[in-house]
Amino acid sequence: MPEPEIHSLSPEQFLERVRSFEFWFGAVQGYLEGREYGRDPELPEERISDPQREGLVNVLCNYCVGETAALEGAGGLIQLAPNRPTKVFLATQTADEARHLEVFSHRLQELGVNNVEAEVKRRSLPELLQFKARLLELIDRGEWAPALFAQNVILEAMEFAVFQRHAHNADLATGDILQGVIKDERRHIGFGENVLGQQLARDPSLRPRLRELRKELDSLVLASFEHTMKILGAPASDSQELGQNYLRAVERLGFA
Amino acid sequence: MSLPAQEKERPRQRFELDDRGFDEVPRRYRKYYRRFLGAGDVLAPNEVLCPVCKVVIRSVRELREGDRVYCMACMTRLRVVKVDGRLEGRVEY
Repeated sequence: MPEPEIHSLSPEQFLERVRSFEFWFGAVQGYLEGREYGRDPELPEERISDPQREGLVNVLCNYCVGETAALEGAGGLIQLAPNRPTKVFLATQTADEARHLEVFSHRLQELGVNNVEAEVKRRSLPELLQFKARLLELIDRGEWAPALFAQNVILEAMEFAVFQRHAHNADLATGDILQGVIKDERRHIGFGENVLGQQLARDPSLRPRLRELRKELDSLVLASFEHTMKILGAPASDSQELGQNYLRAVERLGFA
Repeated sequence: MSLPAQEKERPRQRFELDDRGFDEVPRRYRKYYRRFLGAGDVLAPNEVLCPVCKVVIRSVRELREGDRVYCMACMTRLRVVKVDGRLEGRVEY
């Protein structure tokens, strides 16, 4: 008997199916099989100038900061998640974030960085470190919805927008790594928006708390945006457009 | 959701879905999705764009206002709505 169309599943059946390792294995296999550290091993290494390399190292170091925040955040959120499929999804996200940290660190080594940890520490943007500290504080306090909002809406939406822009004009190897990371990020942003959307529908009293948090974290996120865009040499209009993409995600949840 | 009487009566077109190389979901679901090719990409009557992750969602039948579809790439449930005569997906929580 042919399988029914995916769109005919009930919302519960759909979520049960996609928030699973079974789904995750099938999804990542499609775009990661045969890759080494997230990239096609056959891709040639492009020659880049010293200033370009310096800029790329700077950007990748800060991607590592963001991914470390996301890794610790996703792992920490598991204990707060309200049910099994949500915990399972966050476990898959934790694996994704660890992979991102690994592939960006490996790319830094390929670019000649010997001590990745020290270099990341030296080049970290203070705004990103502040964001990470705030996220982990929310988790420590057991604030499920605010922590999920910070992690899967604010941080993930920012990363999604920045990686997409960077992938357009990156060198071949970095661009290939970013394309794989972007595919993971789609799941994370959708998950965050959906879980929070449902929770807000059930409990609108959460809204002022999330609005307040957004006000606090927006400036950190937007400062990181601008910094990265500047290093990538993107025109100001691009930076504004990316900011808009991020704001649209937040607006869909009713935080215009 | 009310539809114009003519549209209600007209049988929906059916579509044979093919794999367009969308590799972000397990193989058996790939035919339901494809990449959006940008501003010039005209969607077919069985397609709608996911506003969350910008992937094109496909169905075996012509889509109409009020239909429910899922974006597996970002795990979102959408309701098909008509805006300025065009079909769009609106996120449902």
